[in-house]
Amino acid sequence: MHGKLFDKERLGYCYQCGKCSSGCDINRLDPSFQPHRFLHLISMGAGARLLKDEGIWKCTTCFACSERCPQGIRVTEILWLARAMAVASGFVPDLVANQRDALLRTGRLIPVDNRKRERAGLPQIQEEPSLAARIFEMVRKH
Amino acid sequence: MRYAFYPGCAMPVKALKYEISTRSLARKLGIELVDVPEFGCCGYPAKSMDFHVALIMAARNLALAEERNMDIVGACTGCVATLSEAKEYLEDGDLRSEVNKKLKALGVKEFTGRVRVRHFARILIEDYGLERLRKEVVNPLGSLEFGVHYGCHYMRPARAHEYFDDPSNPVTLDRLITSAGAKSIDYTNKNLCCGLTIMGISEDTGLRLAAEKLECLSERGVDAMVVACPSCCIAYENNQKLAGRTLGKAFNVPVLYFTQVLGLALGLSERELGFEFNRIKSDKITGSLIL
Ligand code: SF4
Ligand code: SF4
Repeated sequence: MHGKLFDKERLGYCYQCGKCSSGCDINRLDPSFQPHRFLHLISMGAGARLLKDEGIWKCTTCFACSERCPQGIRVTEILWLARAMAVASGFVPDLVANQRDALLRTGRLIPVDNRKRERAGLPQIQEEPSLAARIFEMVRKH
Repeated sequence: MRYAFYPGCAMPVKALKYEISTRSLARKLGIELVDVPEFGCCGYPAKSMDFHVALIMAARNLALAEERNMDIVGACTGCVATLSEAKEYLEDGDLRSEVNKKLKALGVKEFTGRVRVRHFARILIEDYGLERLRKEVVNPLGSLEFGVHYGCHYMRPARAHEYFDDPSNPVTLDRLITSAGAKSIDYTNKNLCCGLTIMGISEDTGLRLAAEKLECLSERGVDAMVVACPSCCIAYENNQKLAGRTLGKAFNVPVLYFTQVLGLALGLSERELGFEFNRIKSDKITGSLIL
């Protein structure tokens, strides 16, 4: 299904022009981060190597590269998928582990402070703590 | 004008001034923002964990709005982009029917694709109209100069946002600010990302990104920076000191939400605009309040 969304064959259209990397501000500040190298690995069928690569977590998801790619490759989205695959294979950065815990426990990323909201004259937020856990479970079972 | 208001996770906790000023501005303009208590997480954080989980989370919110026959209006660029992207993915019929089965199990009606998802700034332009907005201005902000920061997800991915603004040279927020009579400057790194998403992963790089923009705006001497997303505000306001340190500088750049700027021009009060929650105070800004 990811194939359909991200058009796997399209990945073969990457001609390594490097436009994704040259427009990337993370690459500018940290030259070891090179999105076009990730694309190279994936199109060579060596995407599995990315899963252990801490580099995939350095992307800010700014979508600048996706907009720039002359071949219409959704670079940001592909790196994002690589992260999810890394997590599925057990490579989970602390930040993501914490976020997952928060989602599973509270259904949200940031816990609500309804008292503070009341003082600010804002309506109460109804929490549904088990919602995310139910969705994770549903997908796991599938 | 009536919309399902999607607050997300960050705004209701970390950006009270944004929520207060958005609701006040909408009320003032006769735009009805309806709360939907069942709305959950937009799915953004789950995208780094499981594609399907994230998609179901997003689809559930889309379907809840459809059940109520309302379009969604959000104010967090991350939420708006995530929900819009999900809507685009779900144009795929097979994926949609698979997701709809899950929604049924969650007790939600199916998602058909008819709901629209837009940022509050966008509906002000597309549905309310700049001309009409200009007529509401009672306090033209001619003496104030702002540096607008769009935030990456405000207009990207452009396809998911129906190309409503230019992905590399956006203009819509500038137009809103100038409609309020204020000046919105052009500056070199207008397109730079706030860096907040990588805090906790590569903190130095994240702070450097924020610092570069703050440095530019500080040198230009703007009265404030203007943002349209809670994450961007955290990066530039809450983290301003930390960001400054990466360049050995101490910045003092006030950060306002665009809703606060528009509210000022429309004569709303300090309280209605949540100014008590702004951390970097500016006498010039509060001095321009007429209430
Ligand atoms: S911009 Fe597109 S074609 Fe060029 S290297 Fe990057 S992914 Fe490949
Ligand atoms: S989305 Fe990631 S890889 Fe692409 S330009 Fe932005 S930071 Fe770089």
